[in-house]
Amino acid sequence: MILDLHTHSVMSDDGRAKVENYCQWIKRKELPLDGIVLTEHRQFDATSDYRALEDQYGLLILRASEVETDYGHCLVFGVNDDLLHAFDFGRIDNPLATVIEAANRCGAFAAPCHPGRKNVGLFSHYEEKGPVEGVEVVEVYNGGSIPGEDERSVQEAAKYGYRGIGGSDSHIVSRIGSCATEFADPIRSMDDLVTALRAGRCEARTWRT
Amino acid sequence: MADVDIDGLRRQWVGKVFQEIDLVVDQDRMLEWAVACGETDPRFVDPAHPDFQASTAFPTHINAARMLPDDFTDIGSGRGIDGGKSIEWHRPMRAGDRLHATVEIGDIYAKTGRSGTMVFIVNRMTFFDAEQQPVATVDWRMIRQDV
Repeated sequence: MILDLHTHSVMSDDGRAKVENYCQWIKRKELPLDGIVLTEHRQFDATSDYRALEDQYGLLILRASEVETDYGHCLVFGVNDDLLHAFDFGRIDNPLATVIEAANRCGAFAAPCHPGRKNVGLFSHYEEKGPVEGVEVVEVYNGGSIPGEDERSVQEAAKYGYRGIGGSDSHIVSRIGSCATEFADPIRSMDDLVTALRAGRCEARTWRT
Repeated sequence: MADVDIDGLRRQWVGKVFQEIDLVVDQDRMLEWAVACGETDPRFVDPAHPDFQASTAFPTHINAARMLPDDFTDIGSGRGIDGGKSIEWHRPMRAGDRLHATVEIGDIYAKTGRSGTMVFIVNRMTFFDAEQQPVATVDWRMIRQDV
């Protein structure tokens, strides 16, 4: 089962794609995706109901978040009320250690994204501040990476023993599915996804050329 | 990252109206703008159409004299860059409508990217009709680099 774990819809201030347009594109282009995870910037969309779209297009549509930390951006899966009260999703300077600890405590899972990127990637901060305890998984394939960034992510993830996931980081429809994550087990809910990420039963995939 | 106090800026400025203007919606301007934008819908390009109205992006070309309050906090260097505009329509804008527009700081927020921390300042212009009912709201995002 393949999911794009990093996407943005018009709910993000820089997103230009509606969720339905992503679904249409996936089907029209026959992309090998079974679903997407919406990771809106600095917020969590707790209210949108995509069940009708899921039924219409035969896709799993889950909601997560991309938050900003002192070590760059970080995807958070399994967001719930407890986690929303644990730190301020709108801030750009959340301590990554706090985000990871809070996610684990609240039954969620945090994974730094595009870690090989300047300024907003985990490993660029490691150079100055050293590693952060608790990181287990990083996004080694990101559809918005420029040449060299994903290569660095893969290399440094191996160095620190981190597992890898992939996501397109799409903000427009045509970028959806450029990178994704393949799961060994069926994923039917966010709980399934968090469990699989914790267990490491997944593998990053990229279709970028 | 430099230390811009976003929370403090928000408390100080968001929701503060710093300019108001009155205007009459001109049919020729509506038509000119619609044609320039490539509109073909007769509602936008045919003044004889019974539902003739301002085209979707028309309010974005109406600018107040000031983008920010005169005493607005100095952030970053230079004048920044345009972060785009979004429009929320509340009802159609018609030729001859007498409108009153207020300009305020709608939001201030920060985000980080490859080039560092950017501060987004939202200039919000809201158009009201003669009955004080909202017609359209335009959010114009200006980006300043926090250096």
